[in-house]
Amino acid sequence: MMNKRTKLQSFMLYALVIALVVFCIFPFLQILSTSLKHPIDWGNPSLIPKILHLDAYKELLGLMPPKDVDIPASIQRLLDNPALSEAKKQALITKFTSGGDVFSFGRYMLNTFVISLVTGVCATFLASLAAYAIARLRFPGQSVMANGVLFVYMVGGVLLMVPLYQMSVSVGLASSVAGTLFSLFLIYLIQTLPVAMYMLGNYFRTIPFSLEEAAMMDGCSRVEAFWRIIMPLSKPMLFTVFIYCFVIAWNEYLFASVFLKQYQDFHTLPLALQTLFTSKNAIWDRIMAASMLTLLPVIICFMLANRHLSGGLTEGGVKG
Amino acid sequence: MSSVIIRNVNKSYGTLPIVKNLNLEVQDGEFVVLVGPSGCGKSTTLRMVAGLEDITQGDIDVGGRTVNDLPPHKRNIAMVFQNYALYPHMSVKENIVFGLKKSGADAQTIQNKLADVSEMLKLEPYLDRKPADLSGGQRQRVAMGRALARDADVYLFDEPLSNLDAKLRHHMRTEIARIQHQYNMTAIYVTHDQIEAMTLGDRVVVMRDGIVEQVGSPMEIYLQPTNTFVATFIGSPAMNLIEATVNENVLVIDDYHIPAADIANVDLTELNKHHSVLVGIRPDFFEDSSLNSPSDNVFEFNDIQVDLVENLGFDKEVLFKLGGEDSKARLDLRSHVQRKEHISLTVDLNRVLIFDTSTEGVLLNPGALINPTDLSDPNG
Repeated sequence: MMNKRTKLQSFMLYALVIALVVFCIFPFLQILSTSLKHPIDWGNPSLIPKILHLDAYKELLGLMPPKDVDIPASIQRLLDNPALSEAKKQALITKFTSGGDVFSFGRYMLNTFVISLVTGVCATFLASLAAYAIARLRFPGQSVMANGVLFVYMVGGVLLMVPLYQMSVSVGLASSVAGTLFSLFLIYLIQTLPVAMYMLGNYFRTIPFSLEEAAMMDGCSRVEAFWRIIMPLSKPMLFTVFIYCFVIAWNEYLFASVFLKQYQDFHTLPLALQTLFTSKNAIWDRIMAASMLTLLPVIICFMLANRHLSGGLTEGGVKG
Repeated sequence: MSSVIIRNVNKSYGTLPIVKNLNLEVQDGEFVVLVGPSGCGKSTTLRMVAGLEDITQGDIDVGGRTVNDLPPHKRNIAMVFQNYALYPHMSVKENIVFGLKKSGADAQTIQNKLADVSEMLKLEPYLDRKPADLSGGQRQRVAMGRALARDADVYLFDEPLSNLDAKLRHHMRTEIARIQHQYNMTAIYVTHDQIEAMTLGDRVVVMRDGIVEQVGSPMEIYLQPTNTFVATFIGSPAMNLIEATVNENVLVIDDYHIPAADIANVDLTELNKHHSVLVGIRPDFFEDSSLNSPSDNVFEFNDIQVDLVENLGFDKEVLFKLGGEDSKARLDLRSHVQRKEHISLTVDLNRVLIFDTSTEGVLLNPGALINPTDLSDPNG
């Protein structure tokens, strides 16, 4: 009887877990499926495409051969007019032979990658210093500072969006691309630092202080002890924090949509995807392929973080 | 190597005093052991010398310079931690040479030191392992090696053996003593284990509640403790403290009358001022009367009822009541005493101490200080 109930319980548990997993990954499967479907297959509700169609990916990654676009006969006649200047002729030819509003996925990915990388590296570096100070040093206002940083999460991004943009306009940052990118970087930094500090601070507290004391007795200053002992021992958490900050910046849409609106060349992927949805290139397989390629680095990051989180490094250092 | 001078040092956490007016001088090449119960301030004292704790008041000199305001890394002091504190991400080799590299030693010196230390501590097979892959004893040896590899002015040991099992502790104790003599290190060693204190120290500092109770050679501390705390803390089993009344140069314990004039260590004038005192007799100084007495100056407790006999192999511990107190005697293995038996025990009066009941201080006759030649053998 007992055994039977346990089996039933196990079955229920597995069923629940599988249902939850399917619920979570179904949207991703839908994205993958649609991105691989041929236009004739879009009406098919099955997740498995009838024909594997990789054109959307090829197009986004620039692997498609350039298309020859014929100039309409009416325009050709216009071009034959000798009164038209050479410059105007060239402009007309360019207008009718170009692909028009081509979605430059590579560029957007590079933009997103650069800003996410810079945010991830800087946030991890600054958070490690701040977290160490809060975890280890004793100074007036320490707890106020430790808890105060979390204040940033009390106010939603939507509320801060306009004031922050106004501030960056007031100090002249929004008038240039570099300034705008810097403003955005600062905002991402402020958004990611509190959690990064919290994660690292808690991790630093698990490293026995006697290791630092041993390093100081061995001739290291406090700063050297931090760099030579604490930081190498915190690699798994540093990596996790970096991934967290990277992913936050990678996925951020709200502030990017306000700050980068006027600089299309510097759009990030979430912003570009939104533009793609409403552009004349809004074709399902392209939208889904772009979404899939946007998701891919995030998925890779989480898989790497998961692997690094499995083992602690402080084992064996101290007794008990 | 260098001397260490601790002058009028106080340490408080807020208003809570931890170390009170500590004065101590550790000579160049001397091995001083700080011993005392948990919370007596011995580790705090060591950490103040190391620079890991601030000094509230007073001065600490190392090698002739005051180090009060110097951070730990500028004091050139090596330390072995109670919990080993090995760098988990470094191999044994990297752990050992870490301090040497920091001090800017050249590659050849580092190599030589590493070879010396790893050979001395038998660490050669483990040099490429990480601390997590070592046993407790091996980790302790690495921690020792890391300190010994350095050419430090002073070596500090903070209860380095307390995490080891009894056998390994004994082995490492011998190793530390050997190494200290080999390198003539100036060392301060903290322990709560009085056997470590007795066996390792050139001098022993007994502390209680942040105060130094007594400083002396191990045998001075053992044979002439200045108060009941030191008397009972040092020595295992602890010294018996038996209440006795004083009656004109005679100490009365139960029905026994001990002529105080025969007790070599006591100040008779002082004694006669007291109504009652505590008589201190180490269990080791009782002898089974049926065996040869080691001294002529003995007193015989001739009707002792044995409550319990604990056979320890080489000797046996006998529990009995004296002066209403549970008392212990450690008798030779030749003694055949049995539980419930009535026996005679003799005590060497040259080794008996008398303590003031209220102040707990010893009533020591200044003229009867133990001859240093006697110190080598407490049974002599």
